[in-house]
Formats: sequence, structure tokens, C-alpha cells
Amino acid sequence: MRHFDTVVIGAGNAGLTAATALQRGGSKTLLLERHNIPGGCATSFVRGDFEFEVALHQLSGLGTKDKPFVMRQLFDKLGVMDKVGFVQEHDLYRLVVPGELDVTLPASLSGIKSLLQGMFPAESEAIERFLLVCEKISMEGFMTLPKARRANSEELLKATCPYHVQYGFRSAREVLDEFFSDSKLKNVLATYWLYLGVPPRMLPFPDLAVMLYAYAVFKPWHIKGGSQAMSTALVESFLEAGGEVRFNCGVEKILTDSGQVCGVRLEGGEQVTCDAVVSNASPLITFNELLDQERPPLAIQQDFKSRRMGTSAFVIYLGLDCTPQELGVTAASSFIYETLDEEQIHDRMGTLQPPLGGMLTCYNYEEPGAAPAGKSQVMLVCLQYGDVWKSVAPKDYARTKYEFAEKLIGLIERVYPKVRQYIEEVEVATPLTMMRYLNAPGGAIYGFQQSAQDSALLRERLDGVPGLYMAGSWTSMGGFQPTYMAGESTARAVLKQLKVKEVEHV
Amino acid sequence: MSEHNALNLIAGYSQALAGKHELERSGSDFYEVRGEVGSMVVQLHPKRLSLEVAEIIEETPTTKTLRLVAADRSALPPFQAGQYINLFVEIDGVKTARPYAISSSPTQCFFYDLTVKRARGGFVSGHLLDRVEVGQRLQSSGPMGTFHHNPLFHGDDLVFLAGGSGSAPARSLLLDILDRELPRRFHLIYVNSHVDDVIFAEKFRALASRHSNFRLAELITRPPEGYSGRSGRLTRELLQQELGELDGKMFYICGPTPFNDSCVELLTALGVPRRRIRVEANGAPKAPDQQRGWPVGVALDDEVQITVRGRGSFRSKVGEPLLNALERHGYFAENACRSGECSLCRVKLVSGSVFNPQEAHLRKSDRDFNWIYSCVAFPLGDIEIQL
Repeated sequence: MRHFDTVVIGAGNAGLTAATALQRGGSKTLLLERHNIPGGCATSFVRGDFEFEVALHQLSGLGTKDKPFVMRQLFDKLGVMDKVGFVQEHDLYRLVVPGELDVTLPASLSGIKSLLQGMFPAESEAIERFLLVCEKISMEGFMTLPKARRANSEELLKATCPYHVQYGFRSAREVLDEFFSDSKLKNVLATYWLYLGVPPRMLPFPDLAVMLYAYAVFKPWHIKGGSQAMSTALVESFLEAGGEVRFNCGVEKILTDSGQVCGVRLEGGEQVTCDAVVSNASPLITFNELLDQERPPLAIQQDFKSRRMGTSAFVIYLGLDCTPQELGVTAASSFIYETLDEEQIHDRMGTLQPPLGGMLTCYNYEEPGAAPAGKSQVMLVCLQYGDVWKSVAPKDYARTKYEFAEKLIGLIERVYPKVRQYIEEVEVATPLTMMRYLNAPGGAIYGFQQSAQDSALLRERLDGVPGLYMAGSWTSMGGFQPTYMAGESTARAVLKQLKVKEVEHV
Repeated sequence: MSEHNALNLIAGYSQALAGKHELERSGSDFYEVRGEVGSMVVQLHPKRLSLEVAEIIEETPTTKTLRLVAADRSALPPFQAGQYINLFVEIDGVKTARPYAISSSPTQCFFYDLTVKRARGGFVSGHLLDRVEVGQRLQSSGPMGTFHHNPLFHGDDLVFLAGGSGSAPARSLLLDILDRELPRRFHLIYVNSHVDDVIFAEKFRALASRHSNFRLAELITRPPEGYSGRSGRLTRELLQQELGELDGKMFYICGPTPFNDSCVELLTALGVPRRRIRVEANGAPKAPDQQRGWPVGVALDDEVQITVRGRGSFRSKVGEPLLNALERHGYFAENACRSGECSLCRVKLVSGSVFNPQEAHLRKSDRDFNWIYSCVAFPLGDIEIQL
């Protein structure tokens, strides 16, 4: 029987960074992936002349060459910085509410400030203060909060995290209301809620603050060749370090011996032994289906009970036979609302009724290589909970899918009326598609619902089974930067533990 | 959580913690949805289907339709008219597979018809026609493929140019429209070599006479002496005369590769934008050496050594697609379209070089990091791959 120090289940973002960091850190690692290609969400597919990005809209945390931030160091550490190219975007987003609002936030704090102060002069001072709070909250979150938490010290918290003390677990809605009176200004500043799927009322203010601040300062980025290029580069780095990867190879069981992880059984029956397993599958699948124990440890059951299923997404991938200019695109990312009421938009996400909020990303607006000359690669998205799709009978699936796609296109057409006439290629993904490719209950793209109750500050690591580690959106924040980082930090924990074992054996 | 918790100092923390405890009291550990993802996905996209030949229908001297049902007689996954399944077979010890378009209507879900025409020198078609019997079990992929009507932009005015057995998906598209009484027009331009080898000839003619939204135009390229029907090659004039106004029409092309190429050329010459033309994939190219980028001095007959890292090696020919060569030597790679589109047969090229023909719809990063689609990759010299 083959033996590995660590087996990583799933080559999604966190699985890839975990496996690469483990192998480069000296742990002999086997990476297993059910599909034929690495990436999970971070993938692409080809139709005709187009290669479609599946999930990445704006990569955060990279920073510029002059002002680098954590992702640059992380990718460097994982050996992929010279394998992948990045393209900077110059706007955060355009928000359009037809007849009400049409504003584009530039990717710079001073630019946002002067734009908004010009539009809302009466709130000029509050805008300045608000952006400062976003900065302070973000910096505390990166630098001082983890330390203060570990120390469990009120003095340290007061001294080094005063903004968290004041705002840390309040909702975005509450804080925006405290700062501003103009509701449209609040809409503009809260727009990123639609990326996360949690309306401002439920969204922890720090989550919004850090998105605004980090995208403005460290800029939003595209990856050349799409997120697939990063996934494939990570595999390359993993292989170069001597790692072994198998595609088209699902895991049937995680095996334990006296409660301690000892191996995995693969699809087809083969078994390998190992000292540790890092699961990039959802903890629900990992503990309730893969683990060879009847029920997971009590603490894990309790953790699950306090979670709620997160949002999935409905996505239309469009290859258009026109340029971004012909389509009318003026920023890579547009958010489009039918109403100024975010709660109404969120309520619709649980139904098959026409969506009230959606987004359009045009990938070749800032990165010409993302589409053939003269054409455009465009993605339309509205977030949606997966539940409504579970009751669609298989025979009605295709029809339901196209009918809902018509509704999303209808919303986008309010701002981009030509989007339909140039279609050359189109592919539609529903929450069931997410289920299929991510093996995620509910088709959840960010794991559990990211409300205040989901916060990592309220939770311990799911470490009830010795040797079993979780890495992915379900146990951290969702999205690219958080999952890339979660995998790498999990790898560090595993390496530390393996080293302890090694010493014990000596 | 420990009793003393400094985080209590944070505004909203204790409420959030209380909220979490509230959720815990009313929530579930999700044990009841165990297995749900797998069981939902498999209804639409099974990795493998276990099928049984329920009936064999003789279509023409060269062609039979295999009617396949689920081995357990349950409903089969739904498909969109025009899609295919990849049929796995074992012939004289060689495990391989071929994709076949489903020719039956998607409105019924208890069988898939696969219409198989004898290919010249065909390894699999001969086996299916001569050796497969009613009652035999076969494995396949689930239905897949992008050659189907897409209501988001195809419209209701459809023209299908079929060459020979290319009429299999055409029949499915047609039956879908007629069975569901969809407000679509379907115009089939059906080109065959010989009058006595026209698949579905009577069926199509009968349907055309009964349904005003189905128009059939037949063309025989090698007519017998005294043939009175339309004959000769498909020309621009003939298309113009048959089709009239071209605006808003969607064109589907399915037939042998030279037929497909010439249809695209004719339609393009008539001013049809490429985005209104859909062409069915057609396997690996027979003559990759005729394509742009083929290196000078390499012949299809040249011998090469293929090494599968950690497993073994064998001799093969430049002109044999890598996947076929692997299968003939007992190696397996997952596959479905076998035409360079689905990417399931993606493998890592460790050393050496291959020719990726225009059929290979590689991702940019596949090219950058030497991943190839083995179904359409031609080894240009000795190579090593990782399975």
C-alpha cells in the first residue's frame, strides 16, 4: 500500500495552496481531484473561440509592485509568481439602478472620496470619516486583532483594535445608517454585498469595510488566462516539488484507526495510508459522508447546527461577437439593481422569480487577451440559493434553466440593451451545476452563509478528528483570496503537527 | 469558548454569540441531507450509465439503430436534442469508446436511439453492427455536448445541413419540435452519396408531408443512371434557392469533415455570420499533416516511442491519436467527445512534443504548462506522458 505524509482531497483553491505548501514544506503529498482539471471554482472552459472564466471576478490582496500585499508574498512562497501574469483593473465597479443611479467607483481611496464628496456634498465629512474607519478596521483585522484575540486581553484589544471595539460585530446597515442620511450613498458604498450574497442588514460591517478598502488600495486584478492559469500553475509548482496528483479520482472514505486519520479509500477501491488528510471538500461532505465514523464528533455536529446554508449562483457565460465598446461597457464590473432596496433583492435570491439584482463582468475590457480580437467575454451573474432548484424535475431542468436565464438577461438588458444580439457562444450554470462541479451541498459557492454568526471569531477549528484538517470557504470566508490563504495556513498547521510526530518517533 | 473572553468588548459580539446559540438550538447538523448532492447530480449527469440493447433496427444496408434502455429499466437522464453519449466497448481485449449522437426524441426518457453507420475501416462501428445483440449490456457516459438548440439565441428558424449519418442529431432536433409542437421551422438539407443508403428517408418524407413547419430537401451526390431527384454537389445556388432570406436563421452542420468544411465555406460566402453556424465535432482529424503548423519532415507513418511515466512504454505511429494508441496498449484515460472539445482526456506531456490540431480546444494554461487532449494529440517524436 502506498504511503503519503498527507493526502489532500480536492484541488480547489485551498486544496491547491495546501498541497503546494505541504509538498514544498517537505511533506510527501498526494493531491486527489474528482474532476479532470484542477481549480474547483477557479477554472475555465472552452467554447468555440472563447475560453470562459468560471468564477473569478476581481482578485484581491495582490497589491501593486510598489505597494505589494499578502497575495504577492503567498504566490511567491508557493512558487507561482513567475508562472502567472496579472492585469490590474482601474475601477471597483459601476452601480446602475435604472432611472435612479449610475456611478462608477474608481480603484483608489482618494478617487472614491472625491467622487462621492462631489455627488453628495452634504455628507462630505462623513464620507471622509467612513473611509478612514474602513481603513482602520482593515488594518486592525490584518495586523493587531489576531494577536489580541490570542492573548485574550481586553487591554490589548482596547489599545490596538479600537475600531473593532467600536464597530466589530455591527451590521453594515447599522454602521451606514449611523454615518449617512442619503440612502443612495449607502447603496453605492454597500454594493459589494452582492458579491457575498448577504444583505447589508446581515453583513458584518468589517466584511464590507475590508472589501472596499482592500480593493481600493491593493486594486482588483484579473489573471491572464483566467483563474485556471493560477490553478494549473499551482499544480505545476506542486509537481516540480515532487508532489503526486491524480485527476478523475474521487475519494470514497477517509479511514481512521482508533479515531486518528490513517488513510483514504479511492474511487475504485484502492487504499493509501497517510498521517494527515486535508479536506478541501465541504465539512458537511467530509464529516457526514467521507469520514468512516457513523457520526462526527459532537463539537462538529454542534458547529453545523449553528450554520445556515450559503448562497449559490446562477451564471451565464457569453461569448459576444462585438467589442466591449459596442456593447456599451465602461467598467469591467457592473452591478445592476431593479430596486434600491437590498432586502428585496436578497429575498428574490430564494426564488425563480426575475432577479432584482445582478452583475456583468466584461473580462476583455481591461485584458484584451481574454477574448479573440473584436469579440467580448462577458459573464452575467445573480446569486441564488440552491433550494429552489432541488424541486425541479430532471425532465424540466433544461427548460427551467433557460427560462431563468431569460429573466437574468432581461435585467442586464436594462443597462446593456445589445447584450443579446451579438451572442456567439453561451453556456448557463445553475446552482445544480455548482453542486456538480464543487460537490457542495446547496451548490453553495462560499460555503455557509456569511452572517455575523458565521464569523471565525465565534468559532474554533473543526479539529475533532486527529489528523483531519479542513481548508476551504466553509471554514473561512468565501472567495479567492480567503480560500487561497486558508489552504496555505492549514498546510502550516499540518507541517507543524507532522514535525511534532517526527520528533516523537525519533 | 473560555469563560473570560476579551472579545466581549467588541460592539455586537455578545449579540452575535447569542444569535449563534439561537441558531444552534433551531438548526440541524445537516445529517438528513447526507448523499443529496450525489443523488441530485446523478439524475442529470451520471459519470456512467448502465445500458441494455432493447432493440436493433435495420435502417439501410450500412446502418442500424441500437435502441438502448437503462439496464434497470428506469428513466434515463434527460438530454437536449443534438447531444451525444460516449459508448464504452471492449473489442478483442481493447477497451475504447465512441461518442454517438442520440437520434431519438428527448421527449421520452426510457430509451436512447444510437444510429450507427459502418465507417470505412471503423474499429467500433463494425463491432456494434456485427457483434452486438439484443439483451447485451453496454456502459456509456451521460448525455453531453454543446451541439443542440439553445433557445437563448438560436431563434425559431432552423436549418440543418446533414451529410449521411449526420442526420442522427437532426432527427432528434426535428422530433423534439414536432412532439412538443414548438413554434419552430426546421429545414433539413440532407445530402447522401447513394439513393439506397439514405438513413430515415421514409420517416423524414412522411413527416415532411404531414408537418408544414418541417421542410426536407434531399440531394444525392452519386446518383444512379436515370435518377430523377436532385443530384450533384451542394452549391451556393442550391442553398440560395432553398433558403431564401438568411437573416435570423440558425444553421447546424453535421456530416463528414470535408462536408462540414464545405458547408461552412458556402454559408460564409452567402454572408451568414459565423455566430449563426454550429458545427458538430467529428473526432480526431484524419489528415493532421495537412493542417497549418505541421512540422516539415514528419510523416504520419513514422514510428515513435510512447512512455507512460511509472507504467511502461510502447511503439506507435505519429498518425495515430494518442488516446487510441494508449487504449490499444491497455492504458485508460477518461474520455467523452474524442474530438478535442470536452477535455476529459487531458493528460500531462512530460517530455517530447505533440501536434495539437485545430480540433484541440486547449485552454491557454494547458498550452503554457504542457497539458494535452490525448484524443486529438499526435506525437511528433518520442514522448513521455503522465496519466
